[in-house]
Amino acid sequence: MADARTADEPTALLRQVAAGDRVAFRRLYDLQAPRLYAVALRITRQGPLAADAVHDAFLQVWRNAGRFDAARGPAEAWLLGLVRYRALDIARRGGREVSADDLDLPEPADDGPDALEVLAGSRDAAALHACLRQLEAERRRLVLLAFVDGLSHSEVAERVGMPLGTVKSWIRRSLQSLRLCLEGAA
Amino acid sequence: MSGRSHDIPEEVQVLAGEYVLGALDEAEMLAVRRRAAADPELAAAIAAWERRLAPLADAVPPVAPPDELWARIAAAVAPVPQEAAERPPLHAPAEPLVPWARPVRPPPRRIWPWQLATAASLALAAGLAAFALLPRPVPPVEMAALTPPDAAAPGFLVTARPDGSVVLTAAAPAPVPAGRDMELWVLPKGASAPASLGVLPASGMRMVLPTPPAPGTQIMVSLEPKGGSPTGKPTGPVLYAGTFGALSP
Repeated sequence: MADARTADEPTALLRQVAAGDRVAFRRLYDLQAPRLYAVALRITRQGPLAADAVHDAFLQVWRNAGRFDAARGPAEAWLLGLVRYRALDIARRGGREVSADDLDLPEPADDGPDALEVLAGSRDAAALHACLRQLEAERRRLVLLAFVDGLSHSEVAERVGMPLGTVKSWIRRSLQSLRLCLEGAA
Repeated sequence: MSGRSHDIPEEVQVLAGEYVLGALDEAEMLAVRRRAAADPELAAAIAAWERRLAPLADAVPPVAPPDELWARIAAAVAPVPQEAAERPPLHAPAEPLVPWARPVRPPPRRIWPWQLATAASLALAAGLAAFALLPRPVPPVEMAALTPPDAAAPGFLVTARPDGSVVLTAAAPAPVPAGRDMELWVLPKGASAPASLGVLPASGMRMVLPTPPAPGTQIMVSLEPKGGSPTGKPTGPVLYAGTFGALSP
């Protein structure tokens, strides 16, 4: 019962936020901020920058909640997108490089197994998990470095010590395989 | 849904995937956004990838955000009285808005000022959150004057805005000797060492502090070698200093 309620709650809250409900806005923040802050922190790698990303995204939520369309996807994916794009913008503007050397974050695990194990435990993610497993480990790693750590093609190439062209074409082919696999599963 | 996405050209599918993945650089991301605004196929492909890849975010364990983050958000969406909304900005910033001014040199010790200031800002956070829920006007600004130690006329005025940004307006700063720079520091109440906010142009600047200043937060300007303090701590005399809350009722 609790599961069903929490799964639907962000969508219901977004509708209330669209109507100007500040209590619902606070509740949405309490529910989602730890997940979204963690994602932003992983991408920007600095607490203040991650906080800026979440701050800006929630202002967008407040202003644009009425534009959320439940037919296009779950509320959580919409919120995730707002925070990720903001965090990526901040990271790309170079903020991340200022003190990437001396931050207190644990060094992100490079490899996929952890991520995959977490995914395996989530029912919604079963198909994505299965399809990621079909990629070669090295290619899967490039996809995760881009999505989870927010690294651009050239940053991925630098991190793994591979030519940029190879990284681009591996990611491109991984995306094609993933889409075909996921659509086959749907 | 899968039938629909088969109709979208592979080139568009891949571009959308690269965009959602986060693999594009800044210029490429902007180009995709511009194109998606006018290209429903690309927009649909992006939405489909967002849905497909969203579960990957579960791979990152949740982290509690800093306590004052909600207060910043609540303050930014608080109802603004009409009169304040129409008032022009006090100061047209000479510098572009920088998110968290770049330290001149990497600080030697990594304690984020917001960690130090958390306790001090809790009371403020509670106050702002309460404000946000009430149809009461919120004070648009908090001000502090940065004065020299001899308490002469202020050199700079610091205005904290509800969106968390801070504007430093040059009032009457003394000329900076050739070969030296002014450097800006923040000392949250209860903190033992100030944190650098970067070199301060004589014209003033606008920036986003790591945490909105709480009552008791001190702002200082020191005279440093060109380019800023080499040690990450003030090395020269403090030219101006002020404390938030001192001027507000």
